[in-house]
Amino acid sequence: MTTFATRTETVEAWGGRFNLRFQVAGSGPALVYLHGARGMYWDELLRGLSDRFTVYAPMFPGTDPADTMSIHQVDDIFDVVLAYEGALRALGLHGVPVIGPSFGGMLAAELAAGFPDLFSRVILLDPAGLWSESAPWTLDFFSAPPESVPGLLFKDPDAPGAQEMFAPPSPERALDVAVNTIWALGCVAKFLWPLPDRGLSKRLHRISAPTLILWGEDDALIPVHYAHEYGRLIPHSRVEVIPDCGHAAQAEKPDATATLVKEFLDG
Amino acid sequence: MRFIYLQHIPYRHLSEGFAARFPESVVTTPYFEVAEPTLVHADIRAGLDEAMHAARAGFDAVGLTEHGQSSYDMDPNPDLGAAALAYQIGAEDLNTGIYVVGRSLGKTREPLRVAEELAWLDHLSAGRLMTGFPVGLPYDANINAGVPPIETRARYDENLSFVLKAWTAREPFAWNGKYSQYMSVNVWPRPFQTPHPPVSVTGTGNPNTTRFALQRDFGFNLIVMGGPSSAAQRIFDGLWRTADELGVDDNPFRANFAQFVLVADTDREAERLYAEHVAYSATRGVGHIPMHRYTLPGGISPPGLRVLLANSQLADAHPSDPPSFRQLVESGAIVAGSVATVRERLADRARSYRVGNLLLLLQMGSMPTDLVKHNIDMFAGEVMPGLKDIWWEYEDANRWWPARLGGRPVSVTQTELAGVQLI
Repeated sequence: MTTFATRTETVEAWGGRFNLRFQVAGSGPALVYLHGARGMYWDELLRGLSDRFTVYAPMFPGTDPADTMSIHQVDDIFDVVLAYEGALRALGLHGVPVIGPSFGGMLAAELAAGFPDLFSRVILLDPAGLWSESAPWTLDFFSAPPESVPGLLFKDPDAPGAQEMFAPPSPERALDVAVNTIWALGCVAKFLWPLPDRGLSKRLHRISAPTLILWGEDDALIPVHYAHEYGRLIPHSRVEVIPDCGHAAQAEKPDATATLVKEFLDG
Repeated sequence: MRFIYLQHIPYRHLSEGFAARFPESVVTTPYFEVAEPTLVHADIRAGLDEAMHAARAGFDAVGLTEHGQSSYDMDPNPDLGAAALAYQIGAEDLNTGIYVVGRSLGKTREPLRVAEELAWLDHLSAGRLMTGFPVGLPYDANINAGVPPIETRARYDENLSFVLKAWTAREPFAWNGKYSQYMSVNVWPRPFQTPHPPVSVTGTGNPNTTRFALQRDFGFNLIVMGGPSSAAQRIFDGLWRTADELGVDDNPFRANFAQFVLVADTDREAERLYAEHVAYSATRGVGHIPMHRYTLPGGISPPGLRVLLANSQLADAHPSDPPSFRQLVESGAIVAGSVATVRERLADRARSYRVGNLLLLLQMGSMPTDLVKHNIDMFAGEVMPGLKDIWWEYEDANRWWPARLGGRPVSVTQTELAGVQLI
C-alpha cells in the first residue's frame, strides 16, 4: 500500500475525563467518520473520500493505543453520545455529514437522534443497534474463532478488500495489531453485549437529516432485514441494498459503495 | 495437608461420536438430542452420593463448583448441592467442611442473594462452610450470563466488597454500586461463623489475582483443569515471590491446588480402569471447550493480552488429536497410578508448589459411581495417610479453615473493605 498521509487532533472530552483523539486526512469540507468494532482503519472508501473531504475519525474510547483505559470512563451509550457530541462541537464539527459502518453506524444514528442538528446527512453502512425476534442476531462475531471471521464479514472472503483487511502484518507489528484489534472489539462490545439493542429503535424517529441506509444483501452478521427496519423507522431515509455483498460493504464492494455515498453526499 | 474432595457433576452418557458432531461441551451443547432425563437425574444424584462417600471416607471437606449451561458440570448454582450435603453431613455429625469453591462474582447480577444463600448454608452446616469466589469463566460469565467481558472484573470487585460488607455490617446499609443498588441491606441471618466463613479466590494464572488474595489474606485456589504441572509451578512460584514482596507470611494453607487423581493397585491397572473415562473427559467433557470460549475480547487488558499472545505464539494453537492417557499423565495434567506413584507425585507437588490444601477431582468424564467410590476409598485409605503430615507445622496458623473444624478465626484483613483495584 502506498503511504497515506494522516494527522491527528485531540480534544478534551467528557468533562476532562479523557482525551478523544481524531485521525484526520484530506482536504475540503469536513466529514465525520465513526469506525466499526475493529478500530480505525483507512480503507479504500475513506481514502477516496479524502480527495474531496477533510475526514475526521475519532478513535473510540479505549481504542487509542496511547490511552487504552479511557473506555472505563464511559458506562453506557448515553455517556458515549454526550462525550462525542461535546468533542465534535469543540472541533466545530456540526452541520456536517457523518458516515458510520456497523457499530459506528449505530453510534452515528444515536448521535443524529440525540442531537438532530448535529449532522447534515447521515450514512449508515450495515449498522448495529436494532434487534427483533424475526431476525435474531448475536455477537458470535466477537467470540468466533479467528479463521471464521473473514467469512462472517465478507460474502467472498477472497475479495480484494478482505485480502487487504486480513493481510498478515509485518512480524514486528503482528503483536500490536492483534492486541489493538482484540481490545477494540472488547471496548465496543461494552455497548453491544450480549444483544446489540440499547433502545435505539425508540429514538430513530428523531433523526431529521436525510439518511442513506446501505446494506450488503448477504450480510451474515446483521441480516439485511434491518436495512428495511432502519428505513421504516428513520423519517427521511433511503435504503440501498448492494447485491452479492457481505457485512463489510465498503471493503467488499468499494466502488458500488463509493458511488452511492458520493451521489448521496452531492444530492 | 488438608484434602478437599471436589465434585463435578458431568453428564456421563454422551455417545462416542459426540466430539465429531458437536464442537463443545458448553454453551451450544444440544440437550434434547443427547440427554435422557432419567440419566440426568441419576448423574446429579450420583454426584451428591460420591461427595457424601468422600465425606464419610475421611476427606477434610467436600467441594462443588459453578458452571452454567454445560454438560461437563451440571452445576448452575453450587449452593443447591451444598445445601443437600450440609444437611446430610450435619445429620451424620461428620467433621467435614463444605466448600463452595465457586460462586462466580463476575457473573452474578444478584450479590445480595449470594450473601444470603451462603450465610444460610453456614447456619445449616453449623459453621462448616468455606466460600470461594472465582471471577468466572468467560463462556459462563459473558456468554451464558451476558455480562460484557470488559465489565467482568469490575463487577467481581464490587460484588466481593458487597458480600463481605453484607455479612459483617452491624446495621442495615444502603448500597450504591455501579452494578447493583439496594435500598437496605440487612442479611438475615448473618453468617454462623464470626466474622464470616473463610474466603478464597480462584485464579488461573493472572498475577493480579494472586496479589489480591495475598493482600486481603484470602485463600487462593489454582484451578487449571488439565494444564501441565510446569504452568502451576510458575504460578505458585509467583505467588510466594509476591508474598515475600508484600511481607505476607508464607503459610502453605493459603494455597489450594486442584488436581485430577486416579488411584489403582498398579500403574497399569490405573490405565486399564480409567483410560476410557479420561478420554471421555478430553473429548466430551471439560477437555472439549474451544479456546475462544476462554478468551473473549475485553476480558483481558492490553498488557495481559500482550503476554498471553506472545506466549501462545509458541504453542500449537490447533492440537490435532486429544491427548492420550499416557500423555496426560506425563504432562502432569492428571495424576494416575498405584498408591505409591500417586503419593509420590502429590507429595512432590505439594512441596514444590508449597500448597497446604489439595482440591481432588476423583471423578472424571463418564466414570460410573462404583469406580468413583473405589477411587475415593483408595485415596482416603491408602494415599492420604502418607501425605497428611506435610506442612502440619503450619496448621496452628491456618486461618483459611472453619474454626469448628480446627481452623483459626478469620484474619481481620479479610473483612477490610478497602477496595483493591484488580484490573
